[in-house]
Amino acid sequence: MYNLMADILINVCIAFLAGSLLLGLHRKIMARVQSRPGPPIIQYLLHSLKFFFKESSFPKTVSKPFYLAIVVILCGIWVTAVIVTNVVYGSLLLIFGIYAVHKIVEHNSGSSSGSPYGKLSCVRAVYSAASELPLFGGSILVLYLTVHTMDIGQIISYQAAHGPLIFAAPLAALMFFVTIITKAPYSPFGITLGKDIISGFETEHFGFLRGFIMISESMCWYVLLWLFLTLFFGPLSIIGYVIGMIVITCITGLISATTPMLNPNHSVMSQMTITLIGVVGSIALMII
Amino acid sequence: MSLASLGGNLLGIVPLGDIVFYLNPLHLFLFVAILIFTFLIAISHTETQVEAEFGTLGDKKQSVGLKEFKARRFLSVICGIATAGAMITGDLYNFTLFMSLVGILNIGIISSVKQIGVLDSVFQYGLIAMMCSLPLFGGAAIVLGACGTVSLLAIQSMKPTAMMIFGAIMLFIGVCGESGIAPFFASKAEMFRTPGSPFLLIVHLSSLFIIIRAIEIVLIICT
Repeated sequence: MYNLMADILINVCIAFLAGSLLLGLHRKIMARVQSRPGPPIIQYLLHSLKFFFKESSFPKTVSKPFYLAIVVILCGIWVTAVIVTNVVYGSLLLIFGIYAVHKIVEHNSGSSSGSPYGKLSCVRAVYSAASELPLFGGSILVLYLTVHTMDIGQIISYQAAHGPLIFAAPLAALMFFVTIITKAPYSPFGITLGKDIISGFETEHFGFLRGFIMISESMCWYVLLWLFLTLFFGPLSIIGYVIGMIVITCITGLISATTPMLNPNHSVMSQMTITLIGVVGSIALMII
Repeated sequence: MSLASLGGNLLGIVPLGDIVFYLNPLHLFLFVAILIFTFLIAISHTETQVEAEFGTLGDKKQSVGLKEFKARRFLSVICGIATAGAMITGDLYNFTLFMSLVGILNIGIISSVKQIGVLDSVFQYGLIAMMCSLPLFGGAAIVLGACGTVSLLAIQSMKPTAMMIFGAIMLFIGVCGESGIAPFFASKAEMFRTPGSPFLLIVHLSSLFIIIRAIEIVLIICT
């Protein structure tokens, strides 16, 4: 008998564990490219769990309970994303909504702390929302114009009949891949977490709050990779997903290791340019 | 285009006269998320911004005064409720009304502050919002004229015409201007430099959620 709750629980655990290990691998790849030994691959997972047992302290300047609730919400939305993608194969528009809330959390976990670094990250989050959301939205819009549905289950069925969408909508795949690069640690587009502003919106989050952020980041990474493979390479086996996720993590690790972080203006303009080329180019390809 | 292919299967309809509320998983998520955030705004204190003073080792603290706090919190809660309404309405004209209300409230939330740079920014945003009310309501009126209804449930089964598509594009431009997103957002981002994180959240969140809803509506009309 199918048990929905068990399905959800298993998928959320897989997303957390696989996402943590992939982010650990990302860090290892970056270290090896930069001729450092780097931490063990399991280190990200251990860090995520460790923070729940560390002492938590809150700055006197924070906006309570807003400052606490916002990171719990971040975790909640990515659990929802795992359910929408891996369990019910729901709507891509819903994932877009979840991504929008993620940007809101970046914006407000920074500003709610009262820290100047959080505030700068907050302003950068507003600017980057104007380029990241069109990038992700442009990708799913092109997919919608190609397949005429936003339902992930129906997109999988379409690919089973017509072949992988990477060939039919290559520029949509490019836009989605740039979205993945944006969410990679030490990404050239990761302006909200720039080291010039310490750790951006995460600067004033300690203890279990940082634990929630790290769990959310690992689930976010897993969901984005799963979506990319599912939307552009069709129905894959478990081995296919594992290989695909490792390959994408290695590529993004290489990019993060060799590319400096762009300044906010360049980051936003680069993403907007890619979006423009992706959407206009895809529509031109459809007309031709 | 069927609603199910955009936001998932229809979960239910609430027929309140001409205001037809309908729910699918997308609307439910957006509606619940905005209500959670609105509740949080209603019970939260504001943060104190700490900045280093130039030339000394001291810190400069900026916080929200009680009178300003009360005014901004009231406007933020109303903005949250208006956004929640825009998430579930199935009536195009009600959507435009909710949108214009959100635009006015966003201006109000920020215009309560006393920083000149921020007030300049909100003034620019106000001008854009006022100008964009024309394509917003005009777009909805063109759609009504082209298909004879503003019910999205009815429009979804109609074949799009050139005038419907034109109306939808006008509507989308209006929503972009009213909510102050790109390419109209240049002044809006500066509004976020003021203290009052919970209130800034609703300004940003309402814009993003309404844009998602607007994309869905445009796709319903145009495809």
